[in-house]
Amino acid sequence: MKKIIAREKLPELWKSLSELGPLFLPVQEGPVVLFQPWQEGAETNLDTTNTAVPPKDLFLPREETYMQYRCKGKELEVIPAEEVKPAVLFGVHPCDLYAVEMLDKVYMEQDPPDELYKKRRENTTIVALSCASPDPFCFCNDFDVNPAEAPGTDVMAQLKNGSVLLEAKTDKGKALLEQAGDLLEDGSGEEFARREVKTADFNLKLDGLPEDLKNRFEDPVWDELFKSCLGCGVCTYVCPTCYCFDVEDFGHEAGGERFRCWDSCMYGHFTEMAGGHNPRPGRKERVRQRFMHKLRYYPETFGQIACVGCGRCLRSCPVNLDIVQAIQALGGETVEQR
Amino acid sequence: MSSVNVLLPQQATILDITEETPDIKTLRVVGKEGLPFDFMPGQCAMLSIPPVGEAIFSITSSPTCRECLEFSIKDVGKVSSALHSVVPGQQIGIRGPYGNGFPVDEMKGKDLLFIGGGIGLAPLRSLIGYCFAHREDYGKIDIVYGARSPADLIRKSEVQESWAEEPDTDVHLTVDAEFPGWDKNVGFVPTYVSDLGFKPENKIAITCGPPIMIKFVLQALEKLNFTPDQVITTLEMRMKCGVGKCGRCNLGPVYVCKDGPVFTLEELNALPAEY
Repeated sequence: MKKIIAREKLPELWKSLSELGPLFLPVQEGPVVLFQPWQEGAETNLDTTNTAVPPKDLFLPREETYMQYRCKGKELEVIPAEEVKPAVLFGVHPCDLYAVEMLDKVYMEQDPPDELYKKRRENTTIVALSCASPDPFCFCNDFDVNPAEAPGTDVMAQLKNGSVLLEAKTDKGKALLEQAGDLLEDGSGEEFARREVKTADFNLKLDGLPEDLKNRFEDPVWDELFKSCLGCGVCTYVCPTCYCFDVEDFGHEAGGERFRCWDSCMYGHFTEMAGGHNPRPGRKERVRQRFMHKLRYYPETFGQIACVGCGRCLRSCPVNLDIVQAIQALGGETVEQR
Repeated sequence: MSSVNVLLPQQATILDITEETPDIKTLRVVGKEGLPFDFMPGQCAMLSIPPVGEAIFSITSSPTCRECLEFSIKDVGKVSSALHSVVPGQQIGIRGPYGNGFPVDEMKGKDLLFIGGGIGLAPLRSLIGYCFAHREDYGKIDIVYGARSPADLIRKSEVQESWAEEPDTDVHLTVDAEFPGWDKNVGFVPTYVSDLGFKPENKIAITCGPPIMIKFVLQALEKLNFTPDQVITTLEMRMKCGVGKCGRCNLGPVYVCKDGPVFTLEELNALPAEY
């Protein structure tokens, strides 16, 4: 099923789709673009390259209360949080959905599945938007990411000559387009334009890198690479394939809630145990953990490097200690010199 | 059950509390109807006490005990400290079981050498109880157990009376220094293991204790010609989820909470030494 809509009519479409549940789409917030719930008059921006933060928080929220507790005398009562409501994610670029596929492997395919994540995935209808042109930090070409096609999306969309062409890929996507009714015109005669999107070439040597890293836990590269790291954790915050979380209680002795929230392996307390022992006590160990997880540990379990070349860490790291720097230091020009 | 959020705890009730040492208590815990879940020796459970939070503890009772779960808990952190203040009848949160447990089937037909230090006896005790309940499946059992002082040994009467009376079983106790009234061995656990001169033939050694003790026990076992596949230990890491997702106990390609906490020395040697 293909449909088409003129861009000036999009606010009407937003309004219609938002009746299904919160509609998240790229919204201009001052200097940055973020996925935000649409509301009347929102300054949407479909022409943006990647948003500042990936939309992973739709499935793994920054903060998610999953139970309330009440204590009365010696009794403890546990009250599970309400079911999650349906949502629509509109305008996500393919690389972010390649990353969601990687999170799915951990959160849905690996036993036991994470029901909180799974329900949000199942209750969200996704409209992916193909990329028109990359920004200078995009390097998805290195990771077999096709900027024109998105895996697992319910609807594929493309901006085309002042219109948006939409094609349903799943039943969920079909239902979404049907919801819009007469707002959408028949697009069966339209074709998706073939576009070559050429991203930055950082000369990354990725073939065999996971295998190569198996014996490089003590490599001298790690003694140098971490030195500029400030431990701010922004790389994990903006990374679409980072998924670590914390679980905490908030409340008092009579009642409160238990929630989980994003956490970061770049923080010292992350692995610090009661009694003070810390298996990853310094920045060197933590920087090594993060890059080894992306480049060696995740690939060993799931068969692919946990990076999609979205470029957010290149944009965000205050000291340029991004994954491109790490891959170059580990396997770029230095590999022959080792 | 697949649609249940695995992070949700169930209610459990404290049956009673035993003060083992000045900083270790054993809690006996029961679910709504008997055991909260079935488990194998070496597996762990997440205990929680709001609003302090959750932490992971090894189950110290044997799965053959159908009455309750037991946890021997040392007061070292926020949650363990809160658990030291519970009273009988109080409800706490529990979820689990987590982890792989000891390879009880692979150990069949072997002689077993248990080496524990201090609170490190807790996970071993679950396996020891299991082996006694399936006595005909296992050969000679030696238990070396030590602590700083006689007052720091846990489950004293059980270790000295019940275990020592089991068939084909020897219990070897040691404390770090001389104490009035102490007539057993004096010396560190690794030294005592060397002195006892265990032979590695058809034997599996299972050890748990403070990291420094484990380090020297492994050296002692190597000198006694135990090979890495004959040595088993169980690791402790900070954990939040217990199901291999939150990232804290990630060690190379494994997650200690689901792929461990029990590893042979051979398996550990293949992982980054970051525990």
